[in-house]
Amino acid sequence: MKSKSGILVILLILFGFIMQSCKSCSNSGSDVSEDLVIPDSLMFDTPPPVSQNVTEQMMENISSPVETAALIKGLKIPFNKDFIVSSNQAEKFNTSFDKALALGIYGCDLGYLNMYEKTSFVVDYISTIKRLADDIQVGQFFDFSTLKRLATNNENLDSLVFISQQSFNRIDVYLRETKRDMLSAVIVAGVWAEGAYLTSRVAQESNHPRIRETLGEQKAILGFLLALLKIYEKDPSMHQLIAEIEPIKESFDKVKITYELGDPIMVMENGVATFKQQDKQIVEMDDDTYNTIIKNIQNLRNKLIKL
Amino acid sequence: MRKILIALATVVFIINFMPKQANAQSEEELVQICGMVAGDATYLKDFRIKLDAGDPPPVQRFPILLKKDIKYRFSVCNSKEYEGKVVLQLFDNNRMLATTHIIATGKDYPYIDWVCTKTGAYHLFFTFQDGKEGMAVGLLSMVETL
Repeated sequence: MKSKSGILVILLILFGFIMQSCKSCSNSGSDVSEDLVIPDSLMFDTPPPVSQNVTEQMMENISSPVETAALIKGLKIPFNKDFIVSSNQAEKFNTSFDKALALGIYGCDLGYLNMYEKTSFVVDYISTIKRLADDIQVGQFFDFSTLKRLATNNENLDSLVFISQQSFNRIDVYLRETKRDMLSAVIVAGVWAEGAYLTSRVAQESNHPRIRETLGEQKAILGFLLALLKIYEKDPSMHQLIAEIEPIKESFDKVKITYELGDPIMVMENGVATFKQQDKQIVEMDDDTYNTIIKNIQNLRNKLIKL
Repeated sequence: MRKILIALATVVFIINFMPKQANAQSEEELVQICGMVAGDATYLKDFRIKLDAGDPPPVQRFPILLKKDIKYRFSVCNSKEYEGKVVLQLFDNNRMLATTHIIATGKDYPYIDWVCTKTGAYHLFFTFQDGKEGMAVGLLSMVETL
């Protein structure tokens, strides 16, 4: 009797373990990622010398393709296809590091296309991004079919932006969860470099004071980005990327940013509680510095896309 | 030995039949709901908050980078499965700049707008009122450029 109940208990445990392993077979919700096998070549086991939490928090917020594109569009500056990278260029990116960089660059361009509702180009860029994402094992987070349908039918452009943006956020989270946070940092660097490049091209064509200020503001953003990238500087590819970005940082040293602080005020605007910041930001730089920054940003970006 | 095996079996079964993905799924749902709450604003980022009960109330903090001349919208959505009502507060280095809960009136706002005049690092603090346990999602979206 005792041996029968012992066998029963063992069978129950075995059944439990089988159930546990079957959960990763599910295709529902965010479980999709669990059944993926990541090649060793894409894993980075060396822990960064700062806490994971700090790394994650820094990574989430450095660069946004949507905001950069919205600022440019908000100044009534027309769309220019020549500003963005050709999708054919994607074939030149071979290593996982380069592909992650390209993912960031094309992600930024997708934000620019989405913001200007250039859906005729969007499908091509989504396809390129999907291929790059697949190559570094994060393609499952890119809802290609939905994005393609939205772009092809020119329908619900808000959803197009939402899903594009959310896909990149999910890729970021997943890369960090699977110890590939360096690739996430590289994507962020790609988004930043392309956003800065778009701004520099617009600056050359429009000479709008707000664009000049936006370029100057990059001093602060670049500080965050370099701090993030330097966490991984022992990696030879990252070391090289940092070396390529450093000249831009040096050109920003001559940019002076000062603030006048004020207390925010709360008002109701169209029924929405709106808090208005009263701080003032003053960005100062001479023309030589401005032109050097533009030149260095464009040099960097052209190196990154292997022109 | 048999008692140990029974205990082990019980633990394995509890782990298996607990709704392990329930939090993740309802967080996704909350993001969708929060997106609807945000209305026409363009989605930028979501923040998932899960805090235990505590006194003082535990805080979940996220640094964010905001840009000058953009009107942002912060929206919050609480999980129905928990009692806690989330409060979002926006800080710069040392000042609270905006919040979804006005203490003086006791009023909670499902979303607030922030007109940014300074590009830089800010901090989002999330807590649950009265230190209750809660799960929520915060959404950062862009209303317009100025």
